Amino acid sequence: MTAFYAWFADLARRGLLPSDFQYPFLIRGFLAVLVLAPILGGLSHLVVTRRMAFFSAALGQAALTGVAIGLLLGEPLNAPYGGMFGFCLLATLAMVYVKRRATLPPDTLIGVFHALTLGLGLCLLVALTRQFNVHQVESVLFGSLLTVTDADLLMLVAIGLLVGVLLVREYNHLLLDSLNRSVANVAGARSIYLEYFFAVLLTLSIVVSLKIIGALLVEALVVVPAAAARNVAHGTRSYLLWSIAVAFFAGAGGLAVSTKFLVPTGGAVVLAVSAIFFVTLAVRALGSRHAV
Amino acid sequence: MRSEAAVPPLVEIDSLTIRRHREALLDRVSIRVPHGSLHAIVGPNGAGKSTLLLALLGQIEFDGRITLNWRGDGAVGYVPQTFPIDPTLPVTVIDFLALTRQRRPVCFGISAAARAKAAALLSRVGLSGLERRPLAVLSGGELRRVLLAHALDPEPELLILDEPGSGLDEASAQWLEDTLAAMKQSRRTTIVMVSHDLERVRRLADDVTFLHRGVVAAQ
Repeated sequence: MTAFYAWFADLARRGLLPSDFQYPFLIRGFLAVLVLAPILGGLSHLVVTRRMAFFSAALGQAALTGVAIGLLLGEPLNAPYGGMFGFCLLATLAMVYVKRRATLPPDTLIGVFHALTLGLGLCLLVALTRQFNVHQVESVLFGSLLTVTDADLLMLVAIGLLVGVLLVREYNHLLLDSLNRSVANVAGARSIYLEYFFAVLLTLSIVVSLKIIGALLVEALVVVPAAAARNVAHGTRSYLLWSIAVAFFAGAGGLAVSTKFLVPTGGAVVLAVSAIFFVTLAVRALGSRHAV
Repeated sequence: MRSEAAVPPLVEIDSLTIRRHREALLDRVSIRVPHGSLHAIVGPNGAGKSTLLLALLGQIEFDGRITLNWRGDGAVGYVPQTFPIDPTLPVTVIDFLALTRQRRPVCFGISAAARAKAAALLSRVGLSGLERRPLAVLSGGELRRVLLAHALDPEPELLILDEPGSGLDEASAQWLEDTLAAMKQSRRTTIVMVSHDLERVRRLADDVTFLHRGVVAAQ
């Protein structure tokens, strides 16, 4: 990787790339955004179609608890992946299982899990302050470029490829199941399997995104790109492409702002994606006015 | 030579009972639907008609027995009573029809074969040229026709229709009646249809089951 960073730095010194690319942490951040955009943008349009925005928010909170559990069990401060993957997958399976069996509305049940995981996470974080300065876990809460390592990047690429391949295999059934469960079942889609399958893919993607976006803000990047895309897309293909483009420009823009003004990366990315959303909203409103 | 009477019906429903919160939505319902016939299920709201269809589709737990005696590949077509669509959803008619007609994800583009198939299906239901229209902006009648187009390919051995005429204007309702009459004529598809339109049921159906509060009131 050192040679790779040196090559980037050389391009930056020769003026072929912005001067900020002389720093390896920024190159890592940019590469992370390049990988994150298709993963989260691609998932985003299905998350919104399957009405799982609140589910994603609950997963972000669960990740916070997962971090705390990982650290309490002795995982390294900059990579508590065991705790995060373990607890988030457990929370995901529990949420889907209970949602399928309970008679209460899904958002009510997810609200219960949301509150439970947040409460547990906060209690564990307080317990953690005996071992660590709580500011050291700030990067997981709000996202930070400085803490992204080569190993994080490799994990992101590996999970990204896995999620991409699996998503491609089941995409048509997932979309049809989102539109109408009975029609999808008749067409051979297995709703129960698809619900668990998509929830697990979402969980994996959210966990690997946390160091860039942060547990409290990751929901924005799995919901807002698709919401923005809906304002301008026509057809499933452009829906996907717009979602990815919005995620990429929000990621790259947030990265630039975060570096320039020394603010948390996650916050800057969320501000960027929200700004893009409002621009697309205005474009849609203008388009509707012209159409009248 | 095997006599016609010895051929088992496509659909055999015996003592179908479905309970929710201890209340019987369907109580010991038994129905036979011969191959190539059109069987209508009628009754007031809450009679259990749609629940019966869900049981037939295997999408709800039940007591009793449902046997399907297929002759061919067992293809099933289904048109649901409602198909709510988020008004901002940018999924077009061709996207929807391609979902089950190509392996490649529709977000990567529509294959030429799926495009041709969708065009033929839309032509069959009188909606040629609507491929690029979002599902969300279709009228109720157009959406029903798109759903029927989807249900007609591959040619179903059993076609299940839940209130196919609801929300249709007179011209669309007449088109639906003509389409079902033609399918019945071909004898290749067996149709089970829930309907409120007793006049059309009288004209189309070979057999009628009248459900009332979850029990068969008349057949």
